Amino acid sequence: MPAGKHKSGRFRKVFVRTPGSKTVVHHRRRKPGKAKCRDCGKVLAGMVHDLSSKTKNLPKSAKRPERPYGGVLCSKCTRVVMKSKARITE
Amino acid sequence: MSLFEVGRMVLKIAGRDAGKKAVVIDKIDDNHVLIDGQTRRRKCNLKHLEVLPQVIKIKKGASQSEVAAEFKKLGLEVIQTKPKEKTERPRKKRKEKLKERKREIKKAAKTEKPEEKLEKKEETPKPESKDTKASSFEEAVEKESKKEEKTA
Repeated sequence: MPAGKHKSGRFRKVFVRTPGSKTVVHHRRRKPGKAKCRDCGKVLAGMVHDLSSKTKNLPKSAKRPERPYGGVLCSKCTRVVMKSKARITE
Repeated sequence: MSLFEVGRMVLKIAGRDAGKKAVVIDKIDDNHVLIDGQTRRRKCNLKHLEVLPQVIKIKKGASQSEVAAEFKKLGLEVIQTKPKEKTERPRKKRKEKLKERKREIKKAAKTEKPEEKLEKKEETPKPESKDTKASSFEEAVEKESKKEEKTA
């Protein structure tokens, strides 16, 4: 019988063929959801989408865009924010 | 007449320099201008720029130091990056060391080889073995000759 934690749907099933020609079910962690823009909800481009254990050793520049609000806002929303800020200060 | 004349202050709104102020130095074509200031000196699309109301008195194609001086008057900081000093790779050093070691080993081998050969020649018991073989052969011949004499 599978353990209770494997029945809840928290893990995804992966069918693996063993060297003894058996198929075994492996339970692996699901990937996190894709990053979305804070303002418009659009899926962000240039973002890493994997488990933190696999991406923690990557450099910051490989994980999100290298600009202000990178990884938080999409490029369109960033432009809107920048423009509004400039106009308020001026 | 477009707003992007030489000396016009602009704000970069796209890319890694987003949120930084710059001045238009030159007009490249209908869609592109050359900018400098808080950003790097670069060609830029007009869609990536927001026009600011200020206009600075500056020459067309002004140098980086001139732009920095004008920005200081306005109270804006300009970060000037220094070019990196070139350093030799550690790999090359390793290679040189290895080469030196190889040369030393070769030299040592050359100096040692002739002495070894001489020693080997002295040590070789080959001629003795031949003698022993020859002596055994002679003995056998003598034995046979004795047997023949006995039979006769």
